[in-house]
Amino acid sequence: MQKANRKYWWLFVLPTMAAFAIGFIIPFFYGIFLSFCKFTTVTDWKWIGLKNYTKILFVNGKLDTTFLHSLWYTSLFTLVTVLIINLAAFGIALLLTKGIRGTNIFRTVFFMPNLIGGIVLSYIWLMIFNAFLQKISQTIVSNQWNAFWGMVIVVCWQQIGYMMIIYVAGIQNISADLIEAAKIDGANSWQVLRNVTIPMLRPTITICSFLTLTNGFKLFDQNLALTGGNPAKQSQLLALNIYDTMYGTNGWQGVGQAKAVIFFILVAVIALIQNRLTTSKEVEQ
Amino acid sequence: MKANRLFALGLSAAMAVGMLAGCGSSASSATSTASAAEASSTAAKSTGKGKVYMLNFKPETDQAWQNLAKDYKKETGVEVNVLTAADGQYATTLQSEMAKSDAPTIFNIGNTTAAQQWNDYTYDLKDSDLYKHLSNKDLAINYDGKVAGVANCYESYGIIYNKAIIKSYGKLDKAVVKSADEITSLDTLEKVADDIQNRIDEVNTQLADDGSDYQITEAFASAGLDDGSSWRFSGHLVNMPLYYEFKDAGLEDLTAGQAEVTGKYLDNYKRVWDMYVRDSAADAKTLNSGALNAESEFGNGEAVFYQNGDWEYSALTDEENGYLVTSDDIDMMPIYFGVDDENEALCVGTENHWAVNSKASEDDINASLEFLNWVITSDEGRKAVTEKMGLTAPFDTFTGDFQTKNVFAQTSQKLQDDGKKIVDWSFNATPNVDDWRADFVSALTAYTDGSGDWDAVKTAFTDGWANQWKLAQEASAES
Repeated sequence: MQKANRKYWWLFVLPTMAAFAIGFIIPFFYGIFLSFCKFTTVTDWKWIGLKNYTKILFVNGKLDTTFLHSLWYTSLFTLVTVLIINLAAFGIALLLTKGIRGTNIFRTVFFMPNLIGGIVLSYIWLMIFNAFLQKISQTIVSNQWNAFWGMVIVVCWQQIGYMMIIYVAGIQNISADLIEAAKIDGANSWQVLRNVTIPMLRPTITICSFLTLTNGFKLFDQNLALTGGNPAKQSQLLALNIYDTMYGTNGWQGVGQAKAVIFFILVAVIALIQNRLTTSKEVEQ
Repeated sequence: MKANRLFALGLSAAMAVGMLAGCGSSASSATSTASAAEASSTAAKSTGKGKVYMLNFKPETDQAWQNLAKDYKKETGVEVNVLTAADGQYATTLQSEMAKSDAPTIFNIGNTTAAQQWNDYTYDLKDSDLYKHLSNKDLAINYDGKVAGVANCYESYGIIYNKAIIKSYGKLDKAVVKSADEITSLDTLEKVADDIQNRIDEVNTQLADDGSDYQITEAFASAGLDDGSSWRFSGHLVNMPLYYEFKDAGLEDLTAGQAEVTGKYLDNYKRVWDMYVRDSAADAKTLNSGALNAESEFGNGEAVFYQNGDWEYSALTDEENGYLVTSDDIDMMPIYFGVDDENEALCVGTENHWAVNSKASEDDINASLEFLNWVITSDEGRKAVTEKMGLTAPFDTFTGDFQTKNVFAQTSQKLQDDGKKIVDWSFNATPNVDDWRADFVSALTAYTDGSGDWDAVKTAFTDGWANQWKLAQEASAES
């Protein structure tokens, strides 16, 4: 049996591997290849080397800051949302594991925004924001900071519930013995939180911060529906910037593709660093 | 460790297979085109073998096209598949559809730039019946020595106005004009709009006295600067300074454009734009909110003027929309621009050109050409085009009963018959049109809400143009 397994493992891997190759590996490498090409449709390309990559920063011999702007704008957006979402989700999770009445209803209510699609959600929020901003004669796209905070609110509103569920699961997983032991040793609730709950929650924190981080960088739907990158591409997050380059500028499909490759490398590197950082703080149960 | 290495091996094997598959498919497609060419010589006249797949550009005509496809199938047995791209998504949809093996056989190209972009895909329509029926050959796109696209309709735009309201206004004391016919220049239009805006209550009282249901809130329908409306100003209104500038420059083809623009008529643009904003009920600071609906303001008789095109005719008169205005009360005047008002007709042109995919099989190409020819020659087709889609078709087959019912289009024709000169669609020359317009609109928005100045609009207009023109040239030089 063992021997047969060792001999025929490839046969068992094949279906999954084929699906993985078709669905991910081939498009991925094909995409990287296309970033060095000029193309109109993906089957019709011409090799042009690094030209696409230089066009990301230099347009008509001048520095073009659109991509750089959306890079730092996205980074700031991600930073803010990661902090708010995780802190709020953790706080709510703590409250909803204390056994207060109606816990299940609250959990459901907090989770619900997550069930609505990003586009629909953003259009609804768009109306809400504009109705309020109208009072001070502004709109969500009057300037990039209106757009920024608008997106932060929508994304937080949507994701806090989801992360909360993960935190709730993590908190419930902590053995009651540990907390009881700490209490017998005379720890107050703050000390329990700091020295028992949080250290035990490290794996959960890793997951949640990873999810919120990548979600922040990859955000597209809400950006498109809420601001559409207005005013003047100032509120374009990276994903929308890539999309806009790909379809908005004639003959720039390759440049869009090159941006996408850079985008991938960036997200991968940041996610790896984050994973390493938070994982190193995890404790053995 | 060993398992890892094996895994890596499996990975690369899978990749190799994928690449082989890639080669295989391209080889087979090469043979299939060869066999198609062979087949075409034997079966050049055979019909009913090909398929038609049309990627429709205008969302509002989708239903009419679907019905036509069904009729055609019933009549000839040829399968016609019509897909309509969502509003504003045509470029995206076309790009992804074209990459498929069952690519569209008929698609839309908007202008010469698009003809250049899709040059490898456009079939030369020179010998087609479609081109022969085209009554004004200026309405075809010629590129790279071939007829790349044939206009399937032409459109006119200007300022839509409500005759009845202006007539009631004319009865007021010291009214600037008695009827809409007297508005023949920007000066008069400005005076009338300002006066109406200042005397809304008086006009409403008069309207009630005249037994009209209209009650106005503004002279001009809101000038929304959100993505759903801003093209009226970054495209259509921008056309005016472009047209007059190109004309002064002595350009042979006024829709072809030039590398640089000076914006010499931008002051006139500012004058018109300021009027739109000043004489409207919409808050100038929040024009980009996306909550404004100029069509319904005009449709419900709340606004007197509304800059848009003859395609609005069906929306305004469609009973389903429940608008108050009737087709007897509405008409269109040129966008008077203070340059050559007395000779100006409406802006006439099109962004709708049928192109046939040259990479489709010979059978499919023939089927597509026959289908298009059927649309413009058969009764069902012509009826659908003029009545259901409300289009004004530029083909010599549209005579008698098939002449347009669209009052705006009729006015457009009448103005031309009166010897006025149409304003060409010079904005079709805009390089990297989406990018250029985005910058222009944001500058215009900033100017209008008070956070920016007019110079930024000028810069976006002139520098933006030169910049994007260079980029577009570069992009086409590489291909």
